[in-house]
Amino acid sequence: MKMEDMSLSGLDNTKLEALAHDVYSDLVEDACLGLCFEVHRAVKQGYFFLDETDQESMKDFEIVDQPGVDIFGQVYNQWKNKECVCPNCSRSIAASRFAPHLEKCLGMGRNSSRIANRRIASSNNTSKSESDQEDNDDINDNDWSYGSEKKAKKRKSEKNPNSPRRSKSLKHKNGELSSNVNPDLYKYNYSSGISYETLGPEDLRSILTTQCGVVSEHTKKMCTRSQRCPQHTDEQRRAVRVFLLGPSASMLPDSETMLENDGYDAPDGQLIMSRLQWDGSSDISPSDSASSKASTNNSESKRPKKKKNPSTLTLTTTGGGGERDKGQERERVVGSGSGSSSSQNALGLSSRKKRPKLPVPPGPSIYDDLN
Amino acid sequence: MFNRFQFLFQTNISRESQMRAAINQKLIEMGERERLKELLRAKLIECGWRDQLKALCKEVIKEKGIENVTVEDLVAGVTPKGRALVPDSVKKELLQRIRAFLAQHST
Repeated sequence: MKMEDMSLSGLDNTKLEALAHDVYSDLVEDACLGLCFEVHRAVKQGYFFLDETDQESMKDFEIVDQPGVDIFGQVYNQWKNKECVCPNCSRSIAASRFAPHLEKCLGMGRNSSRIANRRIASSNNTSKSESDQEDNDDINDNDWSYGSEKKAKKRKSEKNPNSPRRSKSLKHKNGELSSNVNPDLYKYNYSSGISYETLGPEDLRSILTTQCGVVSEHTKKMCTRSQRCPQHTDEQRRAVRVFLLGPSASMLPDSETMLENDGYDAPDGQLIMSRLQWDGSSDISPSDSASSKASTNNSESKRPKKKKNPSTLTLTTTGGGGERDKGQERERVVGSGSGSSSSQNALGLSSRKKRPKLPVPPGPSIYDDLN
Repeated sequence: MFNRFQFLFQTNISRESQMRAAINQKLIEMGERERLKELLRAKLIECGWRDQLKALCKEVIKEKGIENVTVEDLVAGVTPKGRALVPDSVKKELLQRIRAFLAQHST
């Protein structure tokens, strides 16, 4: 027989297979032994049964294995469908959106003042591109009371172009909206100031009626703060207006200068003034009662704001009559100022700042008279 | 003739066992046995085998009493079931690796 043929490589497959199985069994047995030693040590050291308590508690915390429920038995989107009623505006809000909504609604969150300012600025600067006077009032009204969807949505889409995020797309949009507005807004957000050189007279006027507008010497930019900004005096503001708009158009809300500018409109102005005094005193926009019970400032600020919009709109449509409307607007402001609070200049200034919003009912009737 | 058969038988056996010993030695020397051991351990934990066996151990302990249980008790009570409880996939994978090693190194 050929014993020499027997070599390691000559082992047939069955033997190799048996050998593999043996190796495998050895490995499994090692694993079992390892586990037994571990358990034995844990038992003798006393920590093997530590994770067990009485039967009742064990049943309480058993792992749950039902569909639609996590292992603790909780439902995932239990609060998603629930709606809460906002105590402020009495709207029904989804639960997950309730906290941010309340923040904006009460005007007390981190960003709410910023957004409000931006909204004011955008409504000032883009009001020319809006449709009609009536619609303006509706828009403003709905803006504050969260009323109609379509106008509110238009508001929202207008809000977007203002944000610094969209500043790039703003540049491309120059053809769509009024071209003066967009770079203006872009500069507004980007550099915290406005360059007066690139603005047309209408834009300048609109800015100067709501903002301080004093030109800083080193940056050559107009101050974007309110008419009462503490950094600049009224004299400075008047000087800027004289410089930018010409001496006849210095339009700070002093009672003397305003009436001077608009001599031939006196009869109309008086009519409007009387009407507006009525407006100023008894007029409360529907939103005011609902919103911000804490601060009446908001209501005042919204009311004058509405007044401004229709007038600036007519500014673009009638070139010669633009001035006239502005003047009447001023008179109106004085009327409201004296009607609602006191007739001090400071308050006149403040009401000028807060001018743009007006409640709806008197609005159309006034403009019917004008037109 | 009898002696010759005996002689052949013995040499076959001894050859085989020689070869086994040689292969085992190679496994250990090349570190392959350690690797296989780690692989098996990981797979068994993953598939829950370890927890199953721990539950079996608990039963043995409750039977024998905490004070008196010995390692031998545990081993005797648990190992046969442990061998049976290894999932097929794990077994196949390990056998495959061992065969590969043998094929590579049995010359």
